[in-house]
Amino acid sequence: MKSSKLSIKLDGQLSELDKLCQHLESYCGGLGLSPKNIFETHLILEELFTNIVSYGLTPDQKHSVGIELNCRNDTLTIRIEDEGIAFNPILAGKPDTNCRLAERKIGGLGIHLAKQFSSDIKYQRKGKKNILTIIKKIGDA
Amino acid sequence: MQISEETLDDVQVYKLSGRLDSNTSPDFEKILVEALENGSRKMIADFKNLDYISSAGLRVILKTTKALKRTEGTLVLCAMKDYVKEVFEISGFDTFLPIVADMDAALGLAQK
Repeated sequence: MKSSKLSIKLDGQLSELDKLCQHLESYCGGLGLSPKNIFETHLILEELFTNIVSYGLTPDQKHSVGIELNCRNDTLTIRIEDEGIAFNPILAGKPDTNCRLAERKIGGLGIHLAKQFSSDIKYQRKGKKNILTIIKKIGDA
Repeated sequence: MQISEETLDDVQVYKLSGRLDSNTSPDFEKILVEALENGSRKMIADFKNLDYISSAGLRVILKTTKALKRTEGTLVLCAMKDYVKEVFEISGFDTFLPIVADMDAALGLAQK
């Protein structure tokens, strides 16, 4: 079965999202992923990248975020690495998706979505690096 | 992302094409805020050509919905792709936002 890898380095700024999107578009298209899987992969990456840039990186320093995608059989493995402060975005509180409009808060939703569309997300702190490893099954959609 | 705007009776209809993400959501928010300031109370967002939405887009929709509730206004969403609709369902947004299949249904609801 085919195996395919994408490796990119982005500056730690939200303006890099367009670049990320372009890379993902050609990578996912090349793999022949379904529109649903392409959508979900984009979403996972946007939400995690945005969280890392917004909360994990200090604005005064230049940071880069390394992103690697690896597809093997029906499993997509995504690895996001940055050298910001020790920050685990997946600890964000789960939004109360059942509460009424007036009480709905906005925080935590992005991470909640990323988790919903992944099979597994793990965080590690290794030396000065934050490493997120996301597993996504792409066989059935 | 492209946003077209038209007024049908007293309903503001927005048609979105492309992606509603962290970069493009502020543009949509600006349009909606302006409409609210001008006293619009009935709005429809047609998502037929919307390929993508992230939490940034949801945030804008939530803010607008809350603001409209204060004026007893309405925002109706229509014609979503399946995987876009799933995002609204997972977020629980479908519990307080009317989401319908097409523009006719949306107009029917908004004009009530």
